[in-house]
Amino acid sequence: MNKKILSFSVLLFAIFFGAVELYFYAQSLWQPQKYVVTIAVSKTPLSTPFYVAKAIGSFDDTCVSVEFDEVIGGQRAFAKVMRGEVDFGTSSDSVIAFQSLAHKAFVTHAVFVQSDNDVKFFSRPKANVTSAADLKGKRVGVTKGTASEYFLSTLLALEGLTTDDVKLQYFKPEELIDGFIYNEIDAFIPWEPYAFQSIKLLGDQVKIHNTKNVNTLSFNLISQTADNLLVNKAKCILEGLSTAIDYIASHPNESKKIVIKELQLSPDLIDWVWPDYIFKLGLNQSLILSIKSQAIWAVSTKMTSHTEVPNAEHYIDSRAMLKVSPGAVNIPL
Amino acid sequence: MMKGSLSQRIYLFTLSCCLLLVLLLGSVLWSYQALELSFVRDDYAKKLDNHTNSLKQLVMSDNIYASHYSVSNWQVLQQKLTRLLNSAPRLTPKLQTIQNSIHSQNETLKWVFIQISQNKLKNASEAIKKHLKARLMMQLEAIRSDSLLLSAIAHDDIYNTIKNEALFITSVIGVSILALLIGAFSLTNVVRKSLDEVKYAFKKNHSGHFEKIKLSHQSQEFDSIVKAFNAMNEKLSETTVSLAVMKEVVAERTHILEQLSNTDPLTKIANRRALFERASMEFSRAIRSKNKLTLLLLDCDFFKKVNDEFGHLFGDELLIHICNICGQEIREIDFLARYGGEEFIIVLPNCDIKGGIETANRIQHSLAVHCLGVQGKEVCVTLSIGVCMLSEQHKNLEQLINDTDKAMYQAKQNGRNRIEVLTPPNLH
Repeated sequence: MNKKILSFSVLLFAIFFGAVELYFYAQSLWQPQKYVVTIAVSKTPLSTPFYVAKAIGSFDDTCVSVEFDEVIGGQRAFAKVMRGEVDFGTSSDSVIAFQSLAHKAFVTHAVFVQSDNDVKFFSRPKANVTSAADLKGKRVGVTKGTASEYFLSTLLALEGLTTDDVKLQYFKPEELIDGFIYNEIDAFIPWEPYAFQSIKLLGDQVKIHNTKNVNTLSFNLISQTADNLLVNKAKCILEGLSTAIDYIASHPNESKKIVIKELQLSPDLIDWVWPDYIFKLGLNQSLILSIKSQAIWAVSTKMTSHTEVPNAEHYIDSRAMLKVSPGAVNIPL
Repeated sequence: MMKGSLSQRIYLFTLSCCLLLVLLLGSVLWSYQALELSFVRDDYAKKLDNHTNSLKQLVMSDNIYASHYSVSNWQVLQQKLTRLLNSAPRLTPKLQTIQNSIHSQNETLKWVFIQISQNKLKNASEAIKKHLKARLMMQLEAIRSDSLLLSAIAHDDIYNTIKNEALFITSVIGVSILALLIGAFSLTNVVRKSLDEVKYAFKKNHSGHFEKIKLSHQSQEFDSIVKAFNAMNEKLSETTVSLAVMKEVVAERTHILEQLSNTDPLTKIANRRALFERASMEFSRAIRSKNKLTLLLLDCDFFKKVNDEFGHLFGDELLIHICNICGQEIREIDFLARYGGEEFIIVLPNCDIKGGIETANRIQHSLAVHCLGVQGKEVCVTLSIGVCMLSEQHKNLEQLINDTDKAMYQAKQNGRNRIEVLTPPNLH
């Protein structure tokens, strides 16, 4: 009797393991085709979800095999996408707003991070700048067509000024500090990690103004106007990002270590920016409103030569996000 | 093999069922807690959404840049929203991220409204006014979206909790039913088999085969019965002899007795009684099948003299020697028996006179060659042999034996150590 039970159990186990084996075999047969995609990733801690995703292997179970093309600033990532050098890129909503004015054929698939304190406002102590109003007639360094320029224009506008009231000088993001050191500018608007580096490098030669909440910056996954295949690839990237973002929420310390290692940044920098960052996947009406308002702002402040504000909805493609996390999509049809 | 009492097994079985039930109850309670928490989170998300919508309506319903615009309505709602945000229920890391996002958006919202309301915009252009109002709406929209996401995740959690619990309950019930079936089957099997084995032993006992019970499944209850039964059986088997054994003993004894009654104690060949039994049979058979039948009657010459000279023991040895010689010279179907003192008869079925004489000759010749040694001397004896074949005149066995006897006498009279045949005219 006991032998019978034993053999019955053994048989049951054999069947069970056989089924499991078969399942995995079938799954391996059904494994979707792997697409190699290249993403132009902005070399800032804002891109944490990408680095974490790669480090913890969350793209492994998706249909994409991801390669990073590291660039400085979302604007260059955008340019690479538009030139077709990469499949996807990461850009701030400001870049998207500026580029939408040029009627470029691109779409935004998702927001993956937001910060209300990424762009900062520095001035030379000797210049006696206490608020944006004091910038009148001063030399101010910004990066053209980015959150940096938009940020300055709103700061000035709040004080009844425009960019015409200052001596605007354009720099590449990584060259802003040099401009300041060589005394080409009295104030500048950098983003992280250049803001942190400026403080480290310049110490009390630079004054930092509290501008938290002045601007909420978001970073987005963008591509050229997407066909079904590209949407499918975007879906797979977003699946990997979603896993990584959950990991960041539950393992913040491990995630910080990954970014420190990947971007070769100092732990101090990560501790400096981390509290301002909110990593989450979403595609909301607020993004449309943000793009729209920034575009209108750019036109009305003549930051751009374009005069017509396009329909921001055209630059949003929610198909991939709807497949990955429909609850995080909030766009009225 | 598991050894223990059946009641122990039943207790163990009941205990495991109870454990499963406790597990089930625990999981239901846990699920209830998880569901309640998810509902609280959903409720919280809905409240956030409602508050944000109220704020949106407030922004849209009035011109916030108008000189008569009262900020108190906004401030009340804004404070409510902040209070609500500070009374968030326990959240998972993922939900906490969304909560942080709402917090951050709310701070920005406050900042934007302060910019609008603190009359700092007196120098500002229409464009920035419009832009800030758009920012206000954007922040509200962001909070609302996050609230909806919070609610969606809470809904997902509710669905997943219910699904997992249902799956868990189903599998626990499935395992319980399986265990119940196996347990019940195993128990009844043990009881049934053990009962069968005991019953079989009783049956065997009844027919006199005292076999011990060997249980294929050990259990304390049946072990005690078996122990008592086996002890009883051992005692019974010591004092009782079975019928079959008895029959066997009787048959063996009868066979020995039969042999004894038909055998001559000295020479170990058939005695007179056996001779008549066998000879009568052969006589009847020969008459019936018209076959030939010849008798030889052998008498040792001067036996008395040998006895006197060498003693009775040697006489006995001599008789045995004669029997051995005769036994060697006759066929398988022939029958040798002691007829009297030193007289022997050989029944030769399917044998005529000629065959009889040949046999007699062989015996005489062999005896002449093989002499017995005694006291350093060779003692050779001879035989006077009468030969007679069954003929129509013989009505019974006695007549045939009688005629053979006559022939033997003729041999004696004609000088001994010879063979005489009674020819038909001389028959009785």
